Amino acid sequence: MAIRNLLFEHREVAGIEEMDVYEKLGGYEGLRRAVTLERQAVIDDVKTSGLRGRGGAGFPTWIKWNGIPKNTDKPHYLICNADEGEPGTYKDRELMLKTPHLLVEGMAIAGYACLGTAGYIYIRGEYVEPAWQIRKAIDQAYKKGYLGKNIMGIEGFNYDLYVHMGAGSYECGEESALMSSLMGERGNPRLKAPHAPLPVHEGVWKSPTLVNNVETYCAAAWILKNGGAEYAKLGTERSKGTKIISVSGHIAKPANYEVEMGTPLLDLLKAAGGVTGGKLKAVIPGGSSVPIMTADKLDKINLDYESCAASGTMLGSGGFMVFNDTTDIVLLMKRTSEFYMHESCGKCTPCREGTRWLFKILDRITSGGGREGDIELLLDICSQIDGRSYCGLGDAAAWPIVGAIKAFREEFEYWIEHKRSPIGDHAVPPTPVVVNPLLTLTPA
Amino acid sequence: MAESVTSNIREPQPAPAKEARFSELAIAELEEIASHYPERKAACLPGLWIAQREYDGYLPPAAIQEVADRLGLSYSEVEGVATFYTMYNLRKRGRHHLEVCTCLTCAVKGAYEVVHKLEKELGVHVGGTTSDGEFTLSEAECLDFCGAATVMQVGDKYFTQLTPDNVKQVIDELRKSPDYTPAKLADSIVKTLLPGASETGGGSYSVEDLKNPAGPML
Repeated sequence: MAIRNLLFEHREVAGIEEMDVYEKLGGYEGLRRAVTLERQAVIDDVKTSGLRGRGGAGFPTWIKWNGIPKNTDKPHYLICNADEGEPGTYKDRELMLKTPHLLVEGMAIAGYACLGTAGYIYIRGEYVEPAWQIRKAIDQAYKKGYLGKNIMGIEGFNYDLYVHMGAGSYECGEESALMSSLMGERGNPRLKAPHAPLPVHEGVWKSPTLVNNVETYCAAAWILKNGGAEYAKLGTERSKGTKIISVSGHIAKPANYEVEMGTPLLDLLKAAGGVTGGKLKAVIPGGSSVPIMTADKLDKINLDYESCAASGTMLGSGGFMVFNDTTDIVLLMKRTSEFYMHESCGKCTPCREGTRWLFKILDRITSGGGREGDIELLLDICSQIDGRSYCGLGDAAAWPIVGAIKAFREEFEYWIEHKRSPIGDHAVPPTPVVVNPLLTLTPA
Repeated sequence: MAESVTSNIREPQPAPAKEARFSELAIAELEEIASHYPERKAACLPGLWIAQREYDGYLPPAAIQEVADRLGLSYSEVEGVATFYTMYNLRKRGRHHLEVCTCLTCAVKGAYEVVHKLEKELGVHVGGTTSDGEFTLSEAECLDFCGAATVMQVGDKYFTQLTPDNVKQVIDELRKSPDYTPAKLADSIVKTLLPGASETGGGSYSVEDLKNPAGPML
């Protein structure tokens, strides 16, 4: 079976969020082992494991860790990106809610390896419950001496961990925007390498900064406990270990599933109980930003970075959305473009204006006003956004639309020609009922 | 009527009156949080959360001015931040702010039906507030609990697996409950930022607790 619980090993254990239960089950052994090693040896162990960033981009984690300067001329800051906002993804929520100590341990290990001064866990404002579990875990870790001054009796290993709460912005999940937000600014992205220094050289407050996802830090804790070689035994040649996939949509058992990298996509679909309410129509394998895949192509896709890329989609953050044949792809794309329109921060013109145009045109098509040439117009706008903004939000707004037109062009054409859904009246998502705002509703 | 459509945008307003509504405890909290960062400016977001609690669930210009004063920032800097993030309320909300997720998964699982049912039940459109001030209804972008669609956030609580059939029950429950107000949400968020706050089990603490490193707060 493809399910392989490493990070989720103890998620069903009652009280695992408490220090004593977590320690009894081998908690903080990773940190204990890490501090017996040289700092470079910790980074090398992460390198051996082949761990890649779990936030979506899949950048090798050890390169970031290794990029942090080996001296402490300036303070080093570590940031955990817990601003999970990708539609379809809810893995970090469960990790923080059920196993908060795993994240605290992972961040302590990274703090040791990268000579960290302080760490910040940037949690999205809506996640009050998970944030409270993290708060508890941090307080308990301070009491036990896993955080604070001279950690585990090591002279000079001083490391503080703080919680920072966002306030509702998808854009702040992007690395450079997150750093702006942490420094108390609007969540706008910044110039990136090669036009600006990498965050590991100059991130927050002009100091070396390490930014990783929740799942990445949790995996680092597991790796330091069990050894990088053990982790590297799982997965494919270039995608090692496991990935947590959040399954949602028309599926019998929506939940987070931790699967070995390289698991056939259809195996996961089976494990999650299969599609409900109709025949399988399409799957978005990695969150709303990645291109949609038609049902007939799914047998060729394995859940790892390379296989997904070869099929023209991405593993992304693991937001696995399943749609049955009552789903109208054009309406779905309209809702997607509405999301990006709402969340575009407004800094770069192509994204700010382009996302609005995409929504307006899709809205026109699904309101029965589609014109000939609208499909080409959509594609043209997408090509004008893609790669032309500071951060990836613009790209992420364009890719799903291009992907959907490629896979379901006939549905777009049907809408434009017949002014109605090819699925019929019961298509989902429904066209929102247009209500005259001057009409007063009376309470039922 | 434009009000109901663009519910989080307000008219240009004159320079705010100077008002100091932060309690002694709130000032101590802000100072504690500001000490976590190398620059005071970084406490802008937490400061606005404290203000949202102290000013009864929303941020009038006076609240923004007070945060700016206490952090040594300009009014426009703090207003820029307050207007960027959707969870800072620039207008007064109802006692319960219902935010229904209508993003992808929730939308295909029937979130719009839930919204329409709520509109009928409460007698307001999306963006509106009931005349008794109990409920404000909003659509939210992805709340990231897609596995439990349809999801609705009220204060610091998520209500999950909503359908047009069970949503009335939630409304009735909320009418009776004192919790889940916008100010309560801000309060819960502030508590997660304070080291040692979990020692109180989410309960109350004093200025001395915050300042005393040996007290219940670390």
